[in-house]
Amino acid sequence: MTHTARWLRGLPAGAVAVAAVTAVVALLEPHLPALGLLPLYLLAVLPVAVRWGAGPAAVVSVVSTVLFGHLFLPSSRRWWFAEVDNGVAIGVFLVTAVVVGNLAARLRQAAEHAARLSAEQAALRRVATQVAREVPPGEVFATVVDEIGRLLGADSTAIVRLDPDGGRAVVAQDGDAPESADELAIPVVVGGRTWGTLTARRGSEGFPAGAERRMAEFTEIVAIAIANAESRTQLAASRARVIAATDATRRRLERDLHDGAQQRLVSLALELRQVESAIPADLAELRTDLDRMAGDLTEALDELRELSRGIHPVILSEGGLGPALRTIARRAGVPVELDVRTASRFPEPVEVAAYYVVSEAVTNTTKHAAATHVRVTLDAVEGALILRVRDDGAGGADPAAGSGLTGLRDRVEALGGSIHVTSPPGEGTTVDVSLPL
Amino acid sequence: MVRRCLIVDDNERFLAVARTSLERDGLEVVGTATTVADALDKTDRLRPDVVLVDIALGAESGFELTRQLVERHPDLRARVVLISTRREDDYADLIALSPAAGFVWKAQLSAGAVRELVAERS
Repeated sequence: MTHTARWLRGLPAGAVAVAAVTAVVALLEPHLPALGLLPLYLLAVLPVAVRWGAGPAAVVSVVSTVLFGHLFLPSSRRWWFAEVDNGVAIGVFLVTAVVVGNLAARLRQAAEHAARLSAEQAALRRVATQVAREVPPGEVFATVVDEIGRLLGADSTAIVRLDPDGGRAVVAQDGDAPESADELAIPVVVGGRTWGTLTARRGSEGFPAGAERRMAEFTEIVAIAIANAESRTQLAASRARVIAATDATRRRLERDLHDGAQQRLVSLALELRQVESAIPADLAELRTDLDRMAGDLTEALDELRELSRGIHPVILSEGGLGPALRTIARRAGVPVELDVRTASRFPEPVEVAAYYVVSEAVTNTTKHAAATHVRVTLDAVEGALILRVRDDGAGGADPAAGSGLTGLRDRVEALGGSIHVTSPPGEGTTVDVSLPL
Repeated sequence: MVRRCLIVDDNERFLAVARTSLERDGLEVVGTATTVADALDKTDRLRPDVVLVDIALGAESGFELTRQLVERHPDLRARVVLISTRREDDYADLIALSPAAGFVWKAQLSAGAVRELVAERS
């Protein structure tokens, strides 16, 4: 409420209150000493002090005193207050009324301030909680415009993003204000650069003092929410890049081994067999030696092959998930039942992630779960690849332990997917993965 | 009777070794090819009894070549033999699904192994 409004409303209200108290005093005055009734006017002063402040209350005090003196204090002199008794009583009342009025007004102000502060703190807390829960920035923005609109009594609030090309995008808005409205705009600074602005408009009476400071506290939280979201996006992107680069390196390594060392050794083994078969029958010893060497070479080749296979499963790039998962199933140490409901090819990172999830889960089951059966389900539905690996083993697997599952989580989350491991003791382990397509 | 053979592989050294090995065992290598286009062309002209196809032909796929060969020359069904530096187990499903006669690991390639596969299937 503005200064003028307080006086404009406080004085008439004071007049009414004074009139009411005067009526009561007039009723009681024939029966009681008049001076004793003077404090009753505090009943008029106090409400005015509480509601409209100390100034109007002081005026009400003075008016009450003058009125009371004129009406109820008999005087032999020309002026009633010239009598010593009256003068002292009136003086005491006036001082009391002004002091009490002041105190009441301050109390009221303090209470108002506390209420405003607590509403503001509660609003900040709600927004901060959302930021801490890492809800998407869009939701934080919506909450902020809503809270600020309510706190400041604004007709409209908005968060506007400034694009590097000079464009402006309204990312959240609440309410609608006329063009002529009073506008507050606070810059939102993220990492040293002006990301955008937080604006509030109020038509009727403009913003109260301190509104700007209160809005500024919100811009800090908004900036944190934006910075967090940007960091998360960058982190996910960099995680995806690291994984993609690793996969590409592994694929190239497998390929290089195949095209280089393996190819040469295979040709060598074939030549060795040729030489061996060309050796005359009477050189049996030499023949045996060569045969052993060819055998060793084959073993070395198999070891190399095993190594390559661990580096990158060639069948995945060649044949897709179906054949690749069947290869895992065939090599697994437990019976694996496959239910592959899609024959499509998917983006390479998705195929590789799905492959490693199944491979790791089946390996874990074989090693730790004492399971008799694993069931793998793969399906493509509504823009996502859904994968489930379920065993009938011991359960009780700790998803936090072991780097295998952590690696899978990195891989899946880098693609924007989700992975859930449920493993109640005695009830087997289920790994659920969803990968966006 | 399996007598005339075409080898498709992008590794020259292996082509040379394989040619010697097969010919000594009485299989005539009528030609060699290093790409899919080259292989289709030579098959059209040379009409081999059997085609040995490397699965990894640089950026091209031996499975794809096998499919095209059998489509163009239905009599080559079960007369294409897939070969690779990798093991049969690495490709198992894909080999089973292809119209090839089967698979021979390059280190164990011989006229006998080829004849055995083709005879089994024809």
